[in-house]
Amino acid sequence: MDILIYGIINSATLALMAMGFTLVYGVSRLPNFAHGALYVLAGYICWLLLNELGIPYILAVFIALAFVAAVGGAMYQFILVRIRGMAISEIIASYAIGLAILEGLRWGGLKGGTFTLAPFVEGSIEILGVSVDWQRLLVVGLGTVLVGLLWIFVNQTRLGLALKGMAQDERAALTLGIDSDRMAVASMALGSLSAAVAALIILPLGSIVVEAGYHVLIMAVAVCIVGGLGSWTGALLAAFVIGFAQILTVAYLGAHFQVVVALLAIIATLILRPSGIFGRQKELEERV
Amino acid sequence: MKKNALLLLVAAAFLVGMSMTGLAAPAQAAEPIVLGAPLSTAFLYGWDAERAMALAVEEINAAGGVKVGKTKRPLKLEVIDTRDLEPGVPVSDALMAVEKLILEKKADFIVGGPVRSEAALAAMALLSKHKKISILTTGALTPKYHAVVGKNPDKFKYLFRISGEAKWMVLGELVPCLMDIGKQFKLDKLYIMVQDVAHARAGGGILQKVMSKKGWKVLADPVIFPTGTTDFSMALLDAKKKGAQVIIIWMDMPESAILLKQWYDMKVPALPFGTIIAAAEQPGFWKATEGKGEFCLANVVNAGNAPSNATPWTMKFVNAYKKKYGLEPEGYGTSSSYMSVYVLKDAIERAGSLDPDKVVAALKKTDLMGVYGRIRFDPKTNQIIPSLDPKEGAVGTVFQWQAGKRVVVFPPKIATGKIMLPPWMKTGK
Repeated sequence: MDILIYGIINSATLALMAMGFTLVYGVSRLPNFAHGALYVLAGYICWLLLNELGIPYILAVFIALAFVAAVGGAMYQFILVRIRGMAISEIIASYAIGLAILEGLRWGGLKGGTFTLAPFVEGSIEILGVSVDWQRLLVVGLGTVLVGLLWIFVNQTRLGLALKGMAQDERAALTLGIDSDRMAVASMALGSLSAAVAALIILPLGSIVVEAGYHVLIMAVAVCIVGGLGSWTGALLAAFVIGFAQILTVAYLGAHFQVVVALLAIIATLILRPSGIFGRQKELEERV
Repeated sequence: MKKNALLLLVAAAFLVGMSMTGLAAPAQAAEPIVLGAPLSTAFLYGWDAERAMALAVEEINAAGGVKVGKTKRPLKLEVIDTRDLEPGVPVSDALMAVEKLILEKKADFIVGGPVRSEAALAAMALLSKHKKISILTTGALTPKYHAVVGKNPDKFKYLFRISGEAKWMVLGELVPCLMDIGKQFKLDKLYIMVQDVAHARAGGGILQKVMSKKGWKVLADPVIFPTGTTDFSMALLDAKKKGAQVIIIWMDMPESAILLKQWYDMKVPALPFGTIIAAAEQPGFWKATEGKGEFCLANVVNAGNAPSNATPWTMKFVNAYKKKYGLEPEGYGTSSSYMSVYVLKDAIERAGSLDPDKVVAALKKTDLMGVYGRIRFDPKTNQIIPSLDPKEGAVGTVFQWQAGKRVVVFPPKIATGKIMLPPWMKTGK
């Protein structure tokens, strides 16, 4: 039972971590390698607002979310727009921005394990004999709600449909008057917002550390590659595959092997099905 | 004539000015002695060492510097970031940092790290090649370090360690402390969680064997977590299921705070004992976990890393650190890093020279009462001689978080309080 419960929690955590990355790639074909840095930035901004300015928690959360969304949008507007369409350059540039943010935070004093956020809900409950704290259940609950909201946004709203149109056929979308750059800014802001939401839900479980940025990026990339780049359904499925594989590894093989699960999943996917479980990049498979 | 008089006047004014600003003082005019410190500065065991050494250097320079023969020379600290505590950073990076200190920064002595045991072991040959005296002060707890020195005393004669090491920590401190806990609260079931690094794996293994022989039930092989792990729930559930009463934690990563938060949230009925637990060592831990880490025991290797009255110098150091940095000494590398500078000063002054062989001979004869007790080096291994009595050797410190304070509970000679169990935990048998 503990494997089932903590498997679901771990999978939901991974899904939350990867959602923003999938969203940005799905709608604007932009691999945002600053995703992990934006995750840590959100936590740190919230911590600063709470501890240095004494702002109420809920307000600090919303300001941090807005700030990180703005940073994401600005990243595209001022930097990535110049290299739009050049995938390798986009990866290098976004990764460089991520490095600058993370190492800048470290340089600025984000060191050690004392930067923490309080859980939204304290305490724990027993589910079928397994002890689970409320914050972890919140990760599952809010993760589900967030995925639902983003799905509704992309499929039911005007802006969401425009983003989807861009992802499906940029030229056709342009002929219908959809501004591709504005849409890319919107998708980056939205993806960054998702990273920030994930951070503010997950980080109260631990500490705000620079290394989390690299960890989140690796996990997001693993989930997206296994699920199929840009596929929401694939990413969700991959989060569950990797999430449960990690928990089973910890339970039966040893905790120190869990770190290789995601990397093995990437390698296996690239060998067996390069476009991922639900990937639409048929050309990749045709080449194999 | 007038021109000459004017020149003389200017020269005289310059000399007067120099002496008034103190620039002509012998200690300041002399060439500084460079202490190269390879440290993983983004991590607790790096920055605590840097701060402590900076404090010692400041104090010594303010008192006139180090007397080398007839000259007083100031100390200069050159710190380089080895990043060796960061996950994924190769050992070779730390070696390059050490070499840079020796070749570019012209370090006369190396103090501090490398911090990660693997990097410290790898740096041994390099330091010997350059005949550079090195005093390890932080991190690097592996017993292999002084064992290697002991096996090759000529080759590695320049290498000293002034901080504790894993074997003594386990056999000399942890085991007696656990036996006391077992006796006092009738507990005998142990669960061990370690980080996937050399000293922790070695320490966990030794502890498992020793405690089994002492009649404790070690419920599983040590559970090994990769550096950077953020979820410990499965192991905690396993510990709870198996009826663990004491959980040994040996981790130098900041994520160990997550483990304690999870322990609290799950109300695991076992006493967490951090043989090494970076997160819980810091004074800011209480606030960061909103008190969830209460009852956690932490070994900070040497006295002086938490307030106690081990020696007259202990609180003097704690207060000086607090005055300069606004908080108590933070991690297990603090007091030893501070002392390393004083021990080196003492040895240089006795040697009357910076010649490595002369300073080595003087270091071997070191015998002074420091922040954490009597400081002497083992003549064969150059490892500081440990003890449970500060009058006999270097004493360690185990403290417990109680009501927001770090209360020293072991060794008994310096204890300021008693061990307490969390309210959701019952005594055994």
